[in-house]
Amino acid sequence: MTTIELEQSVVADTPQTGKQYDVIGTRPIRHDGYDKVTGRALYGADIRLNDMLYGKVLRSPHAHARILSIDTSRALALPGVKAIVTTTDLPSLESVVSRVGEGAVNWRYLSNNILANDKVLYHGHAVAAVAATSMSIAEEAISLIQVEYELLPVVTTVQQAVQPDAPILLEELRTSELGAKGEAMTNIASHDQFLRGDLERGFAEATAIVEREFITSTVHQGYIEPHSATAIWGTDGLITIWTSTQGAHDARRQAAEVLQLPVSRIKVVPMEIGGGFGGKTVIYLEPVAALLSQKSGNRPVQLTMTRWDVLAGTGPTSGSVIKVKMGADKKGRITAAQASLTYAAGAYPGSPVGAAMAVIFNPYNLENVQVDGYDVVTNTPRAAAYRAPGGTNAAFASESVIDELASRLGIDPLQIRHINGAKEGDRRVDGPLVRRIGYLETVEKAQASAHYQSPLPAPSSPGRKVGRGVASGWWGNWPGGTSSVSVVVNNDGAVTLIEGSTDIGGSRVAMAMQLAETLGLQASDIKPLVVDTDSVGYNDVTAGSRTTYATGIAVYKAGLRIIDLMRERAAEFWDVDISTVQFDNGVISARDRRLSFKELARSLGDGNGNIVASVSISPNGDGVALATHIVDVEVDTGTGKVQILRYTAIQDVGTAIHPAYVEGQMQGGAAQGIGWALNEEYVYDQQGHLLNGSMLDYRIPTALDLPMIDAIMVETPNPTHPFGVRGVGEVPIVPPAGAIANAIHNAIGVRMEVLPMSPRRVLEAMWAQK
Amino acid sequence: MASVWIPSLLRDLTGGISELDVPGQTIREVIDSLDERFPGMRDRLCDQERIRPNIAVVVDGLRSQHGMRERVNADSEVHFVPAISGG
Amino acid sequence: MQAFEYIPSATIEEAVTILAKEGDQARILSGGTDLLVQMREGRRRVSTVVDIKHIPEVNQLSYDPRKGLDIGAAVPCYRLYGDPAICAVYPGLIDAAALIGGVQIQGRATLGGNLCNASPAADSIPALIVLRAICVIAGSAGRREVPVEDFCTAPGRTVLQRGELLVSLHLPPPLPNSGAAYLRFTPRNEMDIAVVGAGASVILDDGGKTILSARIALGAVAPRPLFVPAAGQALAGRQPSPEAIEEAARIAQTAATPITDMRGSAAQRTHLSAVLTRRALAKAIERAQTRR
Repeated sequence: MTTIELEQSVVADTPQTGKQYDVIGTRPIRHDGYDKVTGRALYGADIRLNDMLYGKVLRSPHAHARILSIDTSRALALPGVKAIVTTTDLPSLESVVSRVGEGAVNWRYLSNNILANDKVLYHGHAVAAVAATSMSIAEEAISLIQVEYELLPVVTTVQQAVQPDAPILLEELRTSELGAKGEAMTNIASHDQFLRGDLERGFAEATAIVEREFITSTVHQGYIEPHSATAIWGTDGLITIWTSTQGAHDARRQAAEVLQLPVSRIKVVPMEIGGGFGGKTVIYLEPVAALLSQKSGNRPVQLTMTRWDVLAGTGPTSGSVIKVKMGADKKGRITAAQASLTYAAGAYPGSPVGAAMAVIFNPYNLENVQVDGYDVVTNTPRAAAYRAPGGTNAAFASESVIDELASRLGIDPLQIRHINGAKEGDRRVDGPLVRRIGYLETVEKAQASAHYQSPLPAPSSPGRKVGRGVASGWWGNWPGGTSSVSVVVNNDGAVTLIEGSTDIGGSRVAMAMQLAETLGLQASDIKPLVVDTDSVGYNDVTAGSRTTYATGIAVYKAGLRIIDLMRERAAEFWDVDISTVQFDNGVISARDRRLSFKELARSLGDGNGNIVASVSISPNGDGVALATHIVDVEVDTGTGKVQILRYTAIQDVGTAIHPAYVEGQMQGGAAQGIGWALNEEYVYDQQGHLLNGSMLDYRIPTALDLPMIDAIMVETPNPTHPFGVRGVGEVPIVPPAGAIANAIHNAIGVRMEVLPMSPRRVLEAMWAQK
Repeated sequence: MASVWIPSLLRDLTGGISELDVPGQTIREVIDSLDERFPGMRDRLCDQERIRPNIAVVVDGLRSQHGMRERVNADSEVHFVPAISGG
Repeated sequence: MQAFEYIPSATIEEAVTILAKEGDQARILSGGTDLLVQMREGRRRVSTVVDIKHIPEVNQLSYDPRKGLDIGAAVPCYRLYGDPAICAVYPGLIDAAALIGGVQIQGRATLGGNLCNASPAADSIPALIVLRAICVIAGSAGRREVPVEDFCTAPGRTVLQRGELLVSLHLPPPLPNSGAAYLRFTPRNEMDIAVVGAGASVILDDGGKTILSARIALGAVAPRPLFVPAAGQALAGRQPSPEAIEEAARIAQTAATPITDMRGSAAQRTHLSAVLTRRALAKAIERAQTRR
């Protein structure tokens, strides 16, 4: 089995803590840095092609309605309009579920989300699209399309959707329980469960029991760059799509499935991406742009979303209702834990409740535990992945309850986490044994940190109160998926690394560094390229914190092949047996002969062939991530405003390939978690209309709202990776909401049970307390 | 024989058994053995010829990429968990 | 956005003529930080955009200690806080100018435009009210003046008649021992819209121990920015004590008639009216006492 081979070969090189690397752990300038800071980098909407048309999508003004008719005639008659598409232009698909990447996709639902079929299921649901010679004409054409709707009753929250008499969104939907299907029409798409031990006995043994119900609002990934896709349907039937995506091959697969074409007919070119966080692993515009191109006489068509389109029409992550009950004995040992999580999937099934079920208690070693998870459809945009999907909601609930237990038992909040913290050999809530992790180390580092050791500052003025809170978080990571790379040695000794993992967080340079380390070169000797789907083998999405891990393994293995090829070439030159040729840290030698990598490379060329290696792998992997965060807040009791005074994120990062970018992930995740905790929420009216589809009223924090976030890295190398890598990008968004809730309680004695903990909600909670 | 952990929602089929040793050298063989002993098990875990896409198979703590073909050792531990998508 | 005509005006008279002709379908363009957004979002249909940025009179900014401050309607905010004399003499106005939008917006946005946009939550207006600003308006019939507290009539609506435009704002010179402040509450630190805004100004006696007169105005708690004369009157002749401030805050709070919308609940806004009045008054008094 591939993995065992890797682990055995890795054992010899297994990086122990403290192993010295030459390149790994340094901070070279990223290869895409100059272009990105000077504005030269090309993002989705920067593509300009001859004869290009501009597209615009018509979106439903209603949250739930049957489409009775669509009349495009007036729009088609407008001069400058070259094509219009509706659902009738898409092939109809079976309701088939396939594995795509880590998870499952129902193709019919995906297609219906791209262009509504018989029903619109949320305000903003795409209904039709127009391509015209200018954006203004496209906008006017949209207003001329006449759609007849039959309005249907609306449910925007899970609480409404699970009511027995709730309006049904999908008539064919039945509750699925691990393969068994219910009989009645329902909005509850699935139920899953973890169950171990004896809950009753566990609660009976507890000295303190805390039970609370939490509600979290729908939030969006908030990437700055809206979706954009440009497509040409060539007269030869080959389609090219330039797009902002987290995975070109995955996007190609989805587009091919939706258009019912073989994948090889489509080429997807990934542009630089201005943020995705999971929201750009699913496609919206690509097939629409392609069809518009075909219908307009094969002209290029560019579709770029507005901010409103993004907020109303693309997957936010789920709002939720989470009940948690936990008991602990007087020593702080958790004796029983129970949770029920109900997540809003949006228009079609597929909330991240399954992941949330694992996140909620996995930092801890528990004997008696039950977790139930429900996936529920609602008249809101179909949920898409958002950085540790499902995790933030879950940890907000469980970390608040643990804090309350600690408080009742008189135990320090970090200490109670240490008492219960999971370590290698324990059994996870979702079943498998814990492998090598550094959770306890994150708690210890938190305890010893300058932040935790320092006293709380005094309030800045009367009427303000300060408080401190901590929380932990777990994320499973996706230590696998398929990654393919090609490596070419150039005659000047520089090495081209061709890969297909879109760079959303500095992965290009992390791959270059891993290859450089393997070959004994510098990161600047490597030229990493992220290429299109025709130019490299299959790569799963840059998501799930998989990329530095899995693409890193591919890069390492390609590096090993390059080394063998270099040794072979040296053996030829020196006319010796290859078994006598050594490669050590960039130097090839045999007995008394030696050449550096670059010297040997220069002797190639002129009929000596080229050194090239291609690798494609799908490793069975492991590499979970754990974090503990500390936050100090100041609450203005007059206004309810919570100001973050100080924030420290501690995380087990495996091996930090490029420490600055690992820190960046920790800070970025914390910043998003803070926004989620304090101000971000979707606001709907009674008819399900999204009221705050702009960045003014969908309140993401600005740089003026946050202090510098301190990042402390714990390195527990992951034994399943040649350099000990474990994914780092997602777990930092998991603890912040819980940590801030705990800090608010520490400051003003109020337990917040609803996210976001906006000033209005804090005021209301204070008033309710009185 | 590999030790297979039964998800709680499938324990109605196993009469409450949550963990048991199951013969088989691949996941396919393990599922066949389970289905033989507890009829209906295969349909719960599989859809046609493959593991249901919303289920991930974890063997010895490693997330499997090879579906039914995944090899299983005599001392392996097998879990069926929800497939988690990252962002 | 629909097609529209863009007409740059060289003089006030030209602008007045176009406005009189086009009526509702024409809008003035200075900084455009409200207008362009409304047009792009389809919230306002405009057939003619009249650009006044090149008219000298509306670009003038002048301060004279005897005459006061004149701010042309097209003067961007950054010019106000870039002027040390204005900053020293009218800090309450600068509070507002430095809050509108964000620093990028302030490079283009104007107080005149903020006033004419007539949002109940506008940051400039409570400050202008407590500073006794006068609006200078030009129209076909000539010029007229309107106290700023009477300028807005409803959300998005003003006393400007067909063919009229705002030319400038006039603020009287500050009296000795006076101080003013503007505060607002927003969930984010900046780049946000006031949930509630409060402006306060006071004139103290020479000892700084008695309030001779005061003005309080609130934003975002009524269909238009709310001048609360009773709150100021309750302070006249009193010491600047916590009790007096509390009473003024209570009167202001009672006068507020906020709604519940996605930016705030009525209960929250009512509560904030008192909190911000208290804080704005305290700041105005502190400035008055240090300026003696």
